[in-house]
Amino acid sequence: MVPIINELLITFHEKRINSIKTKINFNENYLPIKLQNITEKSEKKIKFLTLKAQERILPFEIAAGVESDYLKGKYNFHLDKINDKYYWKERAVKASASRKNLDPKDQVQTLLEEKNLEIKKLNNIYFPATSNDAKTEYNNQKAVIENELNSKVSLITETLNKKIAVTEALTQSKIDKLIVAKARLNEKLEKLTSKKEERYSLDQDVVLSIKNLSMHFGGLKAVDNLSFDVKEGEIFGLIGPNGAGKTTVFNCITRFYRPNSGEMYFKNIYGEVVHLNDKQVHNIIKEGIVRTFQNVEIVWELNVVDNLLVAAHTIYRSGFFGHLLNSRLLRQEEKVMRKKAEQILEDLSLGAYKYAYPLGLPYGILKKIELARTLMANPKLIILDEPAAGLNDAETDDLAKIIKKIQKDYNTTIFLVEHDMGLVMEICDTVCAISFGKKLAMGTPKEIQNSKIVQEAYLGGE
Amino acid sequence: MFDTTGFWRDIILSVGILFIIYTLLKIFVFKRFKNKDRAKEVGLNIALVLGIMYLFLRIYILIDFNLPDVIPAGNFMLSNILNQTLQVSVLALATTGIVLIFKTSTTTNFAQGIIATFGAFVAAKLIQNFTLNYTEMSVTTAVVLSMIAAAITAFIIGIFVDSVIIRNSKDKTPVGKQMITMGLVLVLSGAMPLIFGKILLPIPKLSYAPNIQFTFLGANLSITVHAFYALIITVVLLTILFTALRFTKWGLGVRATASNELVASMMGVNTKIITAMSWAIAGFLGAVAAVLLTPNATNVSVGLMTPTQVNAFMAAILGSFSSFLGPLVATVLIPVLTGLLSLVVPLWQNAVVYLIILAIVLVKPMGLFGKKVAKKV
Amino acid sequence: MICKNEVCNDRKAKIHQITHHPYFGFFIITFLMLMVQLLRVIGVPISITLLRAFGITMIYIIVALGFSILLGYAGLASLGTAGFVGIGTYLLGYFTKNFGLSIFLVIVISILGAIVIGGIVGFISLRIEGMYLAIITLGLSEILNEVFKNAVSITNGTNGLGLNGILVIFKNPVVVNHNTIFIATAIIMFFMMVLTLNIIKSPTGRAFLAMRNSTSAAQAMGISILKYRLLAFVVSTVYAMLAGVIYMSYISFSIPTTWSLAFSLNILAAVIVGGSQSIYGIVLGTFMIFGLNLGVLQQFSFFQNNPAISVVFNGLLIILVIMFYPGGLIRLVNTTYHKLKKIVLKLMTKWRVYRYGSDN
Repeated sequence: MVPIINELLITFHEKRINSIKTKINFNENYLPIKLQNITEKSEKKIKFLTLKAQERILPFEIAAGVESDYLKGKYNFHLDKINDKYYWKERAVKASASRKNLDPKDQVQTLLEEKNLEIKKLNNIYFPATSNDAKTEYNNQKAVIENELNSKVSLITETLNKKIAVTEALTQSKIDKLIVAKARLNEKLEKLTSKKEERYSLDQDVVLSIKNLSMHFGGLKAVDNLSFDVKEGEIFGLIGPNGAGKTTVFNCITRFYRPNSGEMYFKNIYGEVVHLNDKQVHNIIKEGIVRTFQNVEIVWELNVVDNLLVAAHTIYRSGFFGHLLNSRLLRQEEKVMRKKAEQILEDLSLGAYKYAYPLGLPYGILKKIELARTLMANPKLIILDEPAAGLNDAETDDLAKIIKKIQKDYNTTIFLVEHDMGLVMEICDTVCAISFGKKLAMGTPKEIQNSKIVQEAYLGGE
Repeated sequence: MFDTTGFWRDIILSVGILFIIYTLLKIFVFKRFKNKDRAKEVGLNIALVLGIMYLFLRIYILIDFNLPDVIPAGNFMLSNILNQTLQVSVLALATTGIVLIFKTSTTTNFAQGIIATFGAFVAAKLIQNFTLNYTEMSVTTAVVLSMIAAAITAFIIGIFVDSVIIRNSKDKTPVGKQMITMGLVLVLSGAMPLIFGKILLPIPKLSYAPNIQFTFLGANLSITVHAFYALIITVVLLTILFTALRFTKWGLGVRATASNELVASMMGVNTKIITAMSWAIAGFLGAVAAVLLTPNATNVSVGLMTPTQVNAFMAAILGSFSSFLGPLVATVLIPVLTGLLSLVVPLWQNAVVYLIILAIVLVKPMGLFGKKVAKKV
Repeated sequence: MICKNEVCNDRKAKIHQITHHPYFGFFIITFLMLMVQLLRVIGVPISITLLRAFGITMIYIIVALGFSILLGYAGLASLGTAGFVGIGTYLLGYFTKNFGLSIFLVIVISILGAIVIGGIVGFISLRIEGMYLAIITLGLSEILNEVFKNAVSITNGTNGLGLNGILVIFKNPVVVNHNTIFIATAIIMFFMMVLTLNIIKSPTGRAFLAMRNSTSAAQAMGISILKYRLLAFVVSTVYAMLAGVIYMSYISFSIPTTWSLAFSLNILAAVIVGGSQSIYGIVLGTFMIFGLNLGVLQQFSFFQNNPAISVVFNGLLIILVIMFYPGGLIRLVNTTYHKLKKIVLKLMTKWRVYRYGSDN
């Protein structure tokens, strides 16, 4: 009985640690967005205050005849307005005259006079006769108003700085508290785990380990006693002729199929080794395995960013009632996720399609969007099912570059099935060749290219 | 109060026992078979058949318990089953039409019943005409002639619906087509009182001869001549249809379209004619069913075929849309069960039958005779 | 004399913010509904049938909103709506008559009941999909209808259950004014629209859409099919049963024949005709299917004498919309709006050329 309770406690603690990790991550990501919001708000306030102050100074400026930039701007604005008005009036007069075959000269002349009159009025308003008294008055007033303004602005900036400091401190304290809680939990967990022996273990640099995997469909053996290891940070290619069982292997790993026998182990994002056979299909992504499909599986009703957000589904902490009431946490999370999605799209040079709807985009772009989507879930292992299927040569080259980039920049392992030998040989670090569900050879691309068994399997053999 | 005789207790107990046995078998025995899935399916089928058989047996015992000793319970049950002959034949015709359309157009035709009712209205109008103008004509001839007219009307409506409305629709998804048939229900049910007036239109039985008496398994049974004729008409029509499906080029086309419309059309099958014909034939069968059913309700009314329509859907689900035989078995099962249950739980028989169907479909999602289709990822 | 430009712009921006707020349209719809009631209270001669029509249509809009989450987002076709609304009506009727429970308590009970029933149907939907699911839910609705007909001690059978306008608001039974319930209905409708929009725009809504597009892709992205199927059914059942409770409090009478297949089909038609993924579309569709018939056509003696014609009209509307505007009427409205905008712009340029002469 005790070991069962022990195990339950361990899983409970692990779950809590994971949730704390996501909380820390969220807080760290939300801080810059919040700070930006606060700064924007106070900047807007300052701008508005300056404007008001200038409005207050304006009459004194006019009286003193000081040609400040603000005054000039305002004067030009009204002048342009008058010019515009008379331009259209003139055109209307000319047009009506040409319709009636009349000479518009007289009317244009009167219009010009009217216009000059208005400009004169404007000039009288803005540039009246000046006096020294007015100038001194202006200087006094200006000093007073600017003083007021400066004190207000400095107050705002002060409060802004205070606010920034407070939010930073708050977030930091939150994070610190979380870290402390995490450390405490970790301690507890260590105590608990010390009692039980490690169930599974993998070699240092292995991420995914498949052992003796077999899968039968009726009498057909799609995968037959297959074993291989995928190392951390590499691009691993699975090749084989049609019907060799490549996709079946993928479906077994992602739990769409239940293999008849065999074990699958995976070192997840938290560095623990998990037994994939115990997991459900929709929980695989939580361990850090994301997959794509042979055909593009994009939600056509959503735009590209929203499509990316679908894959972030498991990262959201807000529950259904939060969604129902559009809670504050949800709004904050949405902001963080959107920023992240936009960042990923920019990174993969898909920025132009951010808010486009996928219907009608070229196939190559859709494939890239699927790749971008896998990155939303913070994956450790990305499984790509024939990424180059249906792409032309240029698009395939582009895809190869992107896959390399993802592997480097996002610290992920990539495991792919591909027919396009060129792509496989170009990007893969390790290649495993299978035929009729059995492993033929495994090694670097060059070794595979020179392997006789593989050549026979592909060419039919003598 | 509800369960004085222990009927439901026994039923629930037996279902529970069957379920436990099946689960035990699933865990311990089926694993050892070479073809695991097949073994599971066979086991499930046996369990279902046993369950249904037990239901019949328990009803028999209950009737035996309740009846006075003079009347043998077997006789009573058989005559009750025989009373459902007309319902069975009508349901068989309607269900076949629905399944035919589902196969070729992958949609459930909600308008099946209302098109049939339209045909029945035409028939009733014709019969009214016959009785006024051709007094020397016998009832049977009048009904048969008008039945043919009704069937042809429904046939033409069927062709019209497929080739004019559904062919030209922009939304060709199953739900879209289904919605069109629902629109048709509204249009026709609104139009019929306008076209045919508000006078009551009766259709007489095919024959008013005295009931046919016969002995079967030592029980004295009787059946109305109308039901007997209806059964014969149904059997003849369905035999012709199934023979055509199996042996003619059209039948091959229907089967090809059912399996994949696009491929069939690329292989040179004229799917347009195939689907139009299946809509027409479905209308034809439905109209015959409606004319046969009307004497039971004495007058033709807009809601004449609605219960039959619902039952036909249920039968198609229970028997599986993917076969023709399955729904036919279900069309026998549903009215018979309804009739027997009306003795056990009066008023609640329909609800209980639907519940039984629901339970069976939950166990076997593709129906009694359906095959599991493997999903490709 | 001097326009403070930035201030003007600020005001404009604020107005723009309000008019482009996602809830603004819902507010306008609710406001129009309330205006109808207000005009009647002031004394404008609005017939009671018209008011009733608006009230019932609002209740049906709530049902259709729940159904649109199910059909348009989760992609599950159900024909059991009528039964669920019926349960809501009978719950209120039974508890008010026999136990004198407060309506708020009944609403809580109906929500709990909806969670149970929706859960059951959701479980069924895990095993059965597509057309099969539609027919099975139809069977479920028929079972419920049989229960309404035969469980005489609760539902009063085919005679129908009446409340005579009596409701228990807090403790004691009171005769409630229809106008009050109309206003309450309008406000509830507003909140239901807001909640629906929240669900649609949230990760839950995206999960529904992903599930509708492809269950396997959704699962690969961490969306549990079990959870979201159940959720979709529970949400739509809660909407339906809540609408049932409101219906009973407004009409005070419920009869099994109302909750038949025809009602489910009409709700489906309303959602499809309007546009299953747009809230405004659903409002429009419900008005076309229910409101037009109840509110407008029944005002003319011709239609009163021939009620069949309005049914024919509804049927033709459904067929035509599906044949020519598969996205629903809301798409038609949108396209016409854009076309009109273009035409107006064209006319404006023409007038400018006439007035001012062509450029250069």
